[in-house]
Amino acid sequence: MGDIKRKFARGVLIYGVSIGLSLALVLAVLALLGYDVGRAFTTLFFTSFRSAFGFRETIKKAIPLMFTTYAFTIPFMIKFFNIGGWGQMLFGGTAVTVVSLLLAPVGLPAIVLVPMLLVVGMAAGALPAGVAGWLKARHDINPIISTIMLNFVAFYTVNLAATADRFKDPTAGHPITIPLPAAATLGTWWGIPQSILGAVAAVVFVHLLLERTRLGYEIRAVGYNENAARTYGINFEKTILFTFLLSGALAGLGGTFEVMNIHGKLIEGFAKTSGAQYGILGILTSLVVAGNPLSVPVAAFFMSVLLVGADSLQRVMQVPVEMVFVSQAVIVMSVVVLRTRLSGKGR
Amino acid sequence: MTRPLVELRAVSKQFGTVRALDGVDFSVQRCEIRGLLGENGAGKSTLMKVLYGLYAPDSGEVRVDGEPVHIASPRDSIDLGIGMVHQVSTLVPEFNAVENIMMGGEGDSFTLPVAAVERRIRELSDDFGLEFPLDAKVKGVSAGVKQKIEIVRALYRGARLLILDEPTTSLVESEFVQLLESLKRLVTRGVTVIFITHKMREVMEACDSVTVMRKGRVQSSLGRGEMTKERLVKLMFLERDIDITDSALPNVTVKPTKRSARPLLELDTVGAPGLHDLSFHVHGGEIVGVAAVSGNGERELAEIIVHPRNITSGEIRVDGASVNGLSTLDVFAWGVAFTPEDRVHEGVLNDGSIVENTLLGHHGEARFVSHRGFVRWNAVRQATRSVISEYNVDTPDETLAIRRLSGGNMQKSIIGRAFVSDPRVLVTHNPTSGLDISTVEFIFERLVRMRTEGGAVLWISEDLDELMILSDRIVVLHGGSIAGEFDRDRFDKVAIGLKMIGG
Repeated sequence: MGDIKRKFARGVLIYGVSIGLSLALVLAVLALLGYDVGRAFTTLFFTSFRSAFGFRETIKKAIPLMFTTYAFTIPFMIKFFNIGGWGQMLFGGTAVTVVSLLLAPVGLPAIVLVPMLLVVGMAAGALPAGVAGWLKARHDINPIISTIMLNFVAFYTVNLAATADRFKDPTAGHPITIPLPAAATLGTWWGIPQSILGAVAAVVFVHLLLERTRLGYEIRAVGYNENAARTYGINFEKTILFTFLLSGALAGLGGTFEVMNIHGKLIEGFAKTSGAQYGILGILTSLVVAGNPLSVPVAAFFMSVLLVGADSLQRVMQVPVEMVFVSQAVIVMSVVVLRTRLSGKGR
Repeated sequence: MTRPLVELRAVSKQFGTVRALDGVDFSVQRCEIRGLLGENGAGKSTLMKVLYGLYAPDSGEVRVDGEPVHIASPRDSIDLGIGMVHQVSTLVPEFNAVENIMMGGEGDSFTLPVAAVERRIRELSDDFGLEFPLDAKVKGVSAGVKQKIEIVRALYRGARLLILDEPTTSLVESEFVQLLESLKRLVTRGVTVIFITHKMREVMEACDSVTVMRKGRVQSSLGRGEMTKERLVKLMFLERDIDITDSALPNVTVKPTKRSARPLLELDTVGAPGLHDLSFHVHGGEIVGVAAVSGNGERELAEIIVHPRNITSGEIRVDGASVNGLSTLDVFAWGVAFTPEDRVHEGVLNDGSIVENTLLGHHGEARFVSHRGFVRWNAVRQATRSVISEYNVDTPDETLAIRRLSGGNMQKSIIGRAFVSDPRVLVTHNPTSGLDISTVEFIFERLVRMRTEGGAVLWISEDLDELMILSDRIVVLHGGSIAGEFDRDRFDKVAIGLKMIGG
């Protein structure tokens, strides 16, 4: 048990120092620029908790962010980079839009349509990620390259769908589709998107899969030591393919929820918040938890608190929202450096 | 006596709670080959790494030519004329010999005096009998050639003192003879050599004098005339009452057992990449040793048994049934267990807990994984606890990351894992390499117990002395083919050794 205690103490140290450091930096800059530091501090950290609106906004951002964070974290367990979480999200959102608009005349009830669309969205996210995984497993193509390329494909697929005569909103000056049929959208509970249920289910599923199942064990084993895993009969190629399919499905589900629950239609550039893509933010968040999937929901929530705080800072005090991206980047770098130093690998 | 070339006085070094060096005094005269002998972990390498500037000593003093010096890095020691050849090659695999030798030394930022360097390298290699191809990429050459390149690199940088750390680990017999020849020539030209080893024979054949270390202290230094095997063994293993025989080998008795009528493991004209027409069998109640100098198909042999999909011809049978085309897990399910050669890189999930490591290879068994694919962690934890207690794995508890175990404890947990599901056949590759004698003894006893209980053991090793203690038969592998097979009553070290090197 000594090991666990030590790990916990180490974690507290790492995150405490990192958050403190980045906060000190941001506040110092704000002080130099003549802002009210105390107010900036409370705005940044407590906007999420001071009003129902702030809290709802935080949850709204945390859900998609959690999905893209998973999308990066799971392949990262076996040391591969899925840079395509964003694209997989776009694919998911596009697929549900197209399918629900095509099926609109049929008039399926929500009870049938919604589960079907969730599956479609996950499949659409899993497909490009699976291609990247397959290219790695079969042809040894670096997934960084294939997933980045597929992001472009995804981006233009959104454009294609949102500008197609059949789907586009003729009154909009931007590539946007007509709204989804009501049966294909999700509502809110007290302003909190119903997709929260899907997010919770995803957390439980990922947790159980990784901690309790043989598949999860095999993924972790490959991550610890690929050679030993192979030597003792774990199929490396299958593991790569599976992790990419899973991460793509989760990102796709994130995109699906964005379309079905937030926008109600497909909008070019929808997978963004405060001007930053969820894909990049997901990578950032994943680095904070160093590829530990169990901490993803917490980290995604924390990052969303900062994002909401940042929006508020901009609105209330005219502090540019980018200031918070700087602070997030400092946290990531500080966490990575401290973790390396403390584990003795940095020497 | 003249002033020594190098002198270490009262040097101590502590790693965590381990006293690696405990007030060591050590000195070397000019122009001799000095052996540095001791068990694994005696402090030989640590002492030399202090001298070479890789470790800073906690206390003590280093003198070169009688002058106290401060060696902060290998750069300082190179400037003082000290060169070191490490156990594992430090050459850049993508560079050729010349590029490796001139790396970090020659020319300014914009010019490379390749021709001059080549000339100098040729001179050195001709003088000392250290020939190697200059323009072949290092990654393609043998361990022996790499070593020659490293020695020439040290000489090129002006080494007067050459430290060789276990230089014979990956050499074949003929290469060892050559190395010895070169070292003797070096000494006549004014170079001093320190030769780190744990092999008695090398000391007797190569060294003019020897310093024996034990548990971080110098036991004694002996001149050529004073060296006898008995004396050296006593110095190496002072308080242990072992038979003073050939070298430091554990004392395990092997009683005759009844071997099973049917072989448990059969190889029938098996061919695979790197292997040709292998045929032999292992019965229950038998330990069959496979003797091979590394690089002669022994890795491939171990691999083909646990990954039989790579068989290109012939058949492997376990207890009479063909395993051709089966996956690794299916082979395991047939009662085969395996411990790989390289325990750190192939044997363990480094950052994984001991529990997670116990499951490895057993993750297809119904005992540990339900048919829905859920791991029964409680059962795995229980199995882990029994491994820890039965094999005396020294750990606070089973949640520890396995990389934090010492080499011996790590190996014990790997062996323990192999026996978790009572295998009928054990394939084990160099299970004792780098371990201290008590752990070796422990592993030997486990192998013998498996034999007594009717299991079949295939034991691949390059240590012939060890193989001869336990094996009922020894199969010699050379160039991927079987070069000979010897029954226990016909064991003859010279004859087997000759087959191993292709004689």
